[in-house]
Amino acid sequence: HTDISSDRPLRPYDEALELWSTFQQKTQPLSQSLSSQLRLILAPTQSTKLSGSFRTGKRLNIKKIIPYIASSYKRDKIWMRRAIPSKRAYQILLCVDDSSSMSDENRSSSGHLALESLVMVARALTILESGQIGVLGFGEDVFVAHSLTDPSFSSHDAGARVLQKFTFASQGTDMVKLLRATIDNFREARLTQASSPGGEDLWQLALILSDGLVQSRDHARLRPLLREAMEQRVMVVFIVMDDVRDKKGHSVLELKEARFGADGMPVVRRYLDSFPFEYYLIVHDLEDLPGALAGVLRGWFAEVNA
Amino acid sequence: MDEPMHDAPGAQVKVTFTTNEADLQLPEEKRQLLVPADIRRYGLSRILNSDLMLDSGSIPFDFLVNGSFLRSSLEDYLNSEGLSLETNLTLQYVRSLIPPVFEASF
Ligand SMILES: [Mg+2]
Repeated sequence: HTDISSDRPLRPYDEALELWSTFQQKTQPLSQSLSSQLRLILAPTQSTKLSGSFRTGKRLNIKKIIPYIASSYKRDKIWMRRAIPSKRAYQILLCVDDSSSMSDENRSSSGHLALESLVMVARALTILESGQIGVLGFGEDVFVAHSLTDPSFSSHDAGARVLQKFTFASQGTDMVKLLRATIDNFREARLTQASSPGGEDLWQLALILSDGLVQSRDHARLRPLLREAMEQRVMVVFIVMDDVRDKKGHSVLELKEARFGADGMPVVRRYLDSFPFEYYLIVHDLEDLPGALAGVLRGWFAEVNA
Repeated sequence: MDEPMHDAPGAQVKVTFTTNEADLQLPEEKRQLLVPADIRRYGLSRILNSDLMLDSGSIPFDFLVNGSFLRSSLEDYLNSEGLSLETNLTLQYVRSLIPPVFEASF
């Protein structure tokens, strides 16, 4: 496990409890909306494909007719039926950026927006009631704030204990460590799930809630890890917390980076141009999140089921 | 979109430029910038002057950070203040009073 957390600073329990119940109440309609959109996406898709060989069924399998006659009508499994769609189980890791670029100290409200989003999404998944939810925190290091096998977020207490662990004081943002820990966590979780029945169609999703500020030199190091995640059938969605309501021009969408080129001349380009995540959303306002997230997931499912 | 930059990138710091010079204001969307952490006054001055920023030719600038002139690299400044690369530094730029001949020594 990646938990190295005994000396981490903690938010006072009472404050965390208050925060959880305030956010839960405030985001209740959004949680409901996200939950019902996810239910539609996760519902087993009605299979329209006919297959197999049965004594009764929906349509004759033409290829079986001649052997049927040749066998004096003994080999009579000549019918096809609709394949039975399988039910999807899911494991979701919410990965929350605990680094200090997210904090008020750096004039950022991303931390606040990330915690609100965490509560909203965790509640939506709890209402959905058919999978496991975990929470990872990351900064200089990665820690497990809520493991996939911990009890769900139906009680405020479970939620408060998670919020306690986020103080936005970490002095680095190590996305490489986060992806490594996410892939390892899911690999382990898949093994435990596979031993129980119905573990075949397991859907593993990591949602990263962050201001999106990663050292650009790490972008290239993230690519092979994102490929590895894809090969492990882990979907990674980056949700950029970009609260810019009263700060015009401060959006990560506008953010540029300056370097000196080989000729020694300054070069300025858009930060997001080298951002390595294939699936990412920019959220300015919590209200946008349920629809945007459902949209990305719907697109992804359409792609993998195509 | 994904082609690498010409040089191998080092650490970066996010800065916010401000100024009181009415004729040298940056548009709002250009005030935030990621810059190399080892950059010093002269490099910052060149970036500000470039056609993608102020397009102001070669005005030498000085930079005030928390009320005092920047006399080292940003990285060294952060270290001396016990700050990390997570910090969003506000840099106030002013026209430099130092004669240009000494420019290279900063
Ligand atoms: Mg950060």
